[in-house]
Amino acid sequence: MKTIENPSRVQQLARLVVHYPKINVLISLVVMIALLSALPLLYKDTRADAFLAADNPALVYQNVVKEQFGLSDPIVIAIINDSEKGVFNPTSLQLIDWLTEEISALDNINAQRVTSLATENNITGSDEGMQVDPFFDEYPDTQHIADKIWRQVSDFPLYMGSLIAEDKKATVIVAELNDKGLAEITYQQVLQLVENAPIGQNDTLYIAGEGAISGYLGSYIDADAQRLNPLAGLIITIIVLFAFRRFSPALLANIIIAASVLMTLAVMALFDVPFFVITNAMPVILIGISVADSMHIFSDYFERQANNPEQDKKEIIVETLVTMWRPITLTTLTTIAGFIGLYFSAYMPPFKFFGLFTAIGVAIAWIYSLIFLPAAMSIIQPNASKRMVKLAQSDELDTFAKIMVFLGNITMNNARKVIVFFVLIILSGFYSATHLSVNENRIETFHPSEPLFKADQAINQHLNGTNNLNIIIEANESEALFTTENLTQIEALQTYALTLENVKGATSIVDYLKQIHRSLNGGDKQFYWLPKNKELIAQYFLIYSASSDPTDFEEEIDYDYRIANIRLSLNKGSYQDNKDTVEKLNSYIEDNFNSANLTATLSGRVNVNYHWIEGVGESHFLGLGISLFLVLAVSALLFGSLTAGLFAILPVLSSILLVYAAMVLLKINLGVGTSMFASVAIGLGVDFSIHTIDRLRTSFKDNFGNWDQALADLYPLTGRALFFNYLAIALGFGVLISSKVVPLTNFGTIVFISVTTSFFASMSFLPALIKLTKPKFITDDYLNTQGAPRYSFARKAARLASAFIVVGVLSVVAFGKAALASPDVLTVVDNINKVDDGDFVTRKLTMTLVDKRGKTRVRETQAYRKYYDGEKRTVLFYKKPTNVKGTAFLTFDYEPVEKEDNQWLYLPALRKVRRISASDRGDYFLGTDFTYEDIKQEGKLALQDYDYSIIRFEPLTLENGDHYDAILMKGVPKTKAIAKELGYARNEFWVDSKTWVIIKVNYWDLKDKPLKTLIVTDIRKVDDILTRHNLAATNHKTGHKTTFVFSDVDYKTQVKDKLFTQRAMKLGK
Amino acid sequence: MIKSLLSASLITLMSSSIHAELSATWEQEFALSVSGGDTHAQKLESIFQPEWNTSLTDNIDMTVIGRMLLDAYDNLGFENASFDNFSDINGTITQSKHADISIREWYVDTEISNTFWRIGKQQVVWGQADGLKVLDVVNPQSYREFILDDFADSRIPLWMLNVEVPIGDNDSVQFLWIADLTYNELATQGSVYELSSPLFIPQSTDGIKLLGINQHRPSSAIKDADIGIRYSKFYAGWDLTFNYMYHYQDNPVMYQTLVENNLTINAQFERNNLLGASASKAFGDFTLRTEIAYSSDTYHLLDKSSAVFIQKQGIHQSDDVSSVLGLDWQGLENTMLSIQWFQSSLFNYEPSVIRPQHNHILSGLYKQSFENETWELEILALYGLDKRDTALQIHLSYMLESNIKLWVGTDVFSGPEKSLFGQFNQTDRLTLGLEWGF
Repeated sequence: MKTIENPSRVQQLARLVVHYPKINVLISLVVMIALLSALPLLYKDTRADAFLAADNPALVYQNVVKEQFGLSDPIVIAIINDSEKGVFNPTSLQLIDWLTEEISALDNINAQRVTSLATENNITGSDEGMQVDPFFDEYPDTQHIADKIWRQVSDFPLYMGSLIAEDKKATVIVAELNDKGLAEITYQQVLQLVENAPIGQNDTLYIAGEGAISGYLGSYIDADAQRLNPLAGLIITIIVLFAFRRFSPALLANIIIAASVLMTLAVMALFDVPFFVITNAMPVILIGISVADSMHIFSDYFERQANNPEQDKKEIIVETLVTMWRPITLTTLTTIAGFIGLYFSAYMPPFKFFGLFTAIGVAIAWIYSLIFLPAAMSIIQPNASKRMVKLAQSDELDTFAKIMVFLGNITMNNARKVIVFFVLIILSGFYSATHLSVNENRIETFHPSEPLFKADQAINQHLNGTNNLNIIIEANESEALFTTENLTQIEALQTYALTLENVKGATSIVDYLKQIHRSLNGGDKQFYWLPKNKELIAQYFLIYSASSDPTDFEEEIDYDYRIANIRLSLNKGSYQDNKDTVEKLNSYIEDNFNSANLTATLSGRVNVNYHWIEGVGESHFLGLGISLFLVLAVSALLFGSLTAGLFAILPVLSSILLVYAAMVLLKINLGVGTSMFASVAIGLGVDFSIHTIDRLRTSFKDNFGNWDQALADLYPLTGRALFFNYLAIALGFGVLISSKVVPLTNFGTIVFISVTTSFFASMSFLPALIKLTKPKFITDDYLNTQGAPRYSFARKAARLASAFIVVGVLSVVAFGKAALASPDVLTVVDNINKVDDGDFVTRKLTMTLVDKRGKTRVRETQAYRKYYDGEKRTVLFYKKPTNVKGTAFLTFDYEPVEKEDNQWLYLPALRKVRRISASDRGDYFLGTDFTYEDIKQEGKLALQDYDYSIIRFEPLTLENGDHYDAILMKGVPKTKAIAKELGYARNEFWVDSKTWVIIKVNYWDLKDKPLKTLIVTDIRKVDDILTRHNLAATNHKTGHKTTFVFSDVDYKTQVKDKLFTQRAMKLGK
Repeated sequence: MIKSLLSASLITLMSSSIHAELSATWEQEFALSVSGGDTHAQKLESIFQPEWNTSLTDNIDMTVIGRMLLDAYDNLGFENASFDNFSDINGTITQSKHADISIREWYVDTEISNTFWRIGKQQVVWGQADGLKVLDVVNPQSYREFILDDFADSRIPLWMLNVEVPIGDNDSVQFLWIADLTYNELATQGSVYELSSPLFIPQSTDGIKLLGINQHRPSSAIKDADIGIRYSKFYAGWDLTFNYMYHYQDNPVMYQTLVENNLTINAQFERNNLLGASASKAFGDFTLRTEIAYSSDTYHLLDKSSAVFIQKQGIHQSDDVSSVLGLDWQGLENTMLSIQWFQSSLFNYEPSVIRPQHNHILSGLYKQSFENETWELEILALYGLDKRDTALQIHLSYMLESNIKLWVGTDVFSGPEKSLFGQFNQTDRLTLGLEWGF
């Protein structure tokens, strides 16, 4: 029936699986259950910030702003009252008071940062001078008081539009969260509050704001997942039942699905990767993919069994495995390659992890389909359905096979037309790709029927807006913001901002000053301007603090009057809406605002979103390119032909281009949710073409080189199996279309379109193309059937192995990846970094390496170092012993952190200088216990990597008797990523308070276990420069010790530039 | 005669120098051939390599590297070594069945008005590739052990003039004049690594009698010298070179004259213009290395069945472009993974040329060190896409002391017998070695 190549080894392995079924099933189940025990560790992360890498500057600055001003992403409660008096009636006002108090009492709410009518103060003038009283000075239990409050508020321009709507009908309570990670719980608590609130007849309460969005998203997603995943599972089970008319395939398919999905989630939990918003799509994808492999196995098995009812079923399973293992492995590898492409191209952590873990899930499904499934089938030994047997006996085809054959006939008879059709699709796709628009609006994650969506709309309608943009102004010195020049600049910036689209409100300290000025001049509206006198302004602050709480301005200006904040409110949240505004503001700030004394920086949710979405377009096309390339490479490798690889990706390419056309037509934007569809579509869609090509090669051989017959043979069996495969995936994604999470709906739609197109293209475009071009990669196998070479298995294994290695290594690769200190610390750090180490130095360095058994190795080198403008060059020549003699190491270290250092290594054995990668700062330098970073720093501190703090003064006495009056300090890497790069969780060090040289350092590894200790001795002046002569590093984990001894140190003799060249490396000096 | 003169002057010099450094390595390697069910010793080789560095004056340094090679088993072909590839001024001092003494390198370094001169017998390496050569054609090579030896040991140093002129801050121009007419040393008849693939050796056919092989070698040091120029530039983090060489190809071209049923082979050396470039840069954990070379005249064997065999004397001439694209990854600690794709394409092609028009070879190199670089594992795999032949070398070394290194390794070939690697299908071997430096 089907030709089996090289039966021996594969057959042996297959027999191993099939003839010891119980053990295999047992092991599979045990492994699965063991891994599942890690599932409870999985946690959710629904924050918008989770989408950005932790060291993204926009995010980092955002945190700084939060530290300084306590501002981040609030929960906003809006009270809307449509009656004549609006919210200015006793019930509504009392409601505000009640809500304010209750919300301030919640654990995760920063009580100092709750803003509402009930908390804010009115600044008025009186005969005695300025008066600062809360609006709710008198409890609003009568309409009279309510009216009075309205008069006061409406007289304070600062609050109109921001706290109170101009039409009286809406007001907000803004509450900042302490910990964004607990947003979901807080949101639930606020919901509770709102339930129990004493609302008036015409009052409507809405909850909105980023805090609410993060909070709601968690449960929103959960509800969605609880509905979608079982639905997908059910649909697929029905398809399987329909295809094979037997219960066991459906059961086994579901076990494999469970293994794939649950084990992947367990692995995520083990590696401390949270469940992000988009991780929701992963189970659905895995369900579709994991069932595909088993579909093919079942299809082949039942076909054989129906045709040979007498044959031993175990033998049949072996035959099936031998035939199907190849295409299944091919498709698994190409799918993994597609998803790994996403890992490499995405810049947002949730997408990177999505790509990576989906690849892992696919791998797990593959393993279980090749081991667990045949083993289980061997125990159950299912029979083909009666229908199948009848059809086999009468040599008939069932409906689905007939449909596929029909499709095949149309294709073969109209090959050229089919090709033209798809070429047209490809062309229109390219055209559409240029018209795609990138856009994202977080609120549109929710369906318009959702309360959050409606709340957002309502607030943005009545008030200035829920979308925040902060402009942080920084001056050089304390109290610099009292000067009129600076304040006028701020005012001008505010005014400019208000002219920009969507900016509805701008508040800053300037507005308060204007109000104070006005109130101290009899309350006349005419005086609502900025005083022109520095002393006057200082006085105003003083007077204010006398009358009220000086911390009232904490959100607008800092304690030293050096840093201020302008808060802009925008009533639109989408990237496209605000792109211009952000860019124009940046331009204005650069051209008209920034000076030596005053700088402004954008921050806030709108700014973070801008940076976040900016890269989406680029990242998408990069991901597309990388996935396509990887899949092309893997396919080419596996089929042994570049042309085969190209043919394999054509259907998938046409499907993606069709999707672009569809997106432009349906006005679906390229946003966070949709941008990753390309990698997913490639990973899923390429399976069809791989099966087609693989099957055609065998079919060509079986049909002795007859093209028409070979192509026709493709459809009834493989075509049928692929059809069910396609149904499973398409319907699995179709399920996403019913999601309530809007981006997932769009995602499901476009992947559905893409997968459908891939399937049809593989079944029509690809065969048509092959029919017309008759490529070698189909005919080769048949033409080479002479003398079954005994190494062909090795050859195949080598090819597969290399594909595995490529994919495996890439997967493993994937698996691999600054506080505002108090002035004291900064001074100390500054002193340490200012210690002179000469413009250039020549010195001999002897490295002694001792392992834990006491075995010693010694290396002698000659070293040179020289500083250039913004650059430091170092070269090291190995002199002894003989077998490393001649080795040289050259580095160009650049000052700017982003600029990558350049490194070269000369090995005498190669007689060639080799360029090497400089990025692994935490790697150990040439077998010693010092890392590249340790050596580069040379005893200085890296402020861009660490947050430093002083622990205490602590005198230090070393073993050799050296004594120092030292300060004990601590350094903690600024982010997890930096810690991982450097290899240290933290370090503590003693620095000599007289010379500012670091004497001793203790390092802790990433698991916070003591890693190594560095001790510096023999510190003395050479040529008037303090030099460290002896550095000893001991690694506590391995017991290995390295000592660097510097001798013949010379700061006087000029170090020639020509030493830092590749030629010098070859010369050895 | 010339060789003894050279050694005499060397000894005189050695006794009259000012400041000298003498070092040497002693290497011992044992290879066991394990292919074809028949295990036997392949070689027991000892290599003693002394090196002497000295400063003749303040500005002039001299380096002399000598080598004494002993092989107890002679399977690698000393007995029949013809040494025909060497010019008069190159080659070994002694000729013997089991031993080989030579001056490997002997050159003088000096700097004159910011120009660097290295004059003497030396190795110059162009290009970025590992394992296979695209631009690395300045020095010929000894293929006594095929490609299994370290290139530094198998490359044949030549007497040449090597001048390097720095340009600006980061660039330089190198000029080579090679008057030493030495070419590749091929494994001799009957030795283990004798080439048999039809890609390189005309195959014998029934009914055709081989009359003889005539070798014609270039003889004029002036007319037949090789000239090379290389411009190196460091720009925006890229290491770039632009290379040109006018040289004799280091493999003789086997012209075959067939008269009635008598075949005569005329082995001649032909000129070639090589124009090439290389570029490399590190990006994060990756290093990209690329190299490309255009050769104006390359020569390839035709199949005997070819219609133009007699007219073309069994040789097809074409221009060729070769390249290598290499990617190194050092993302994991103490590990390096390097993948290279070699490609060579003939512009002018005929179906009866034995070599495929487009030749692709993939190589993968995996290196990992353990325990503070005392242990080092290296795995090199080469794979030819056309014939699907492979070469695999695995090497594990241990640094016993600072100056003593031990290793064990294996070299395995597989593939069709007529392919590049497959022709050594039966030479799979296990090696054990020791290196002692002092």
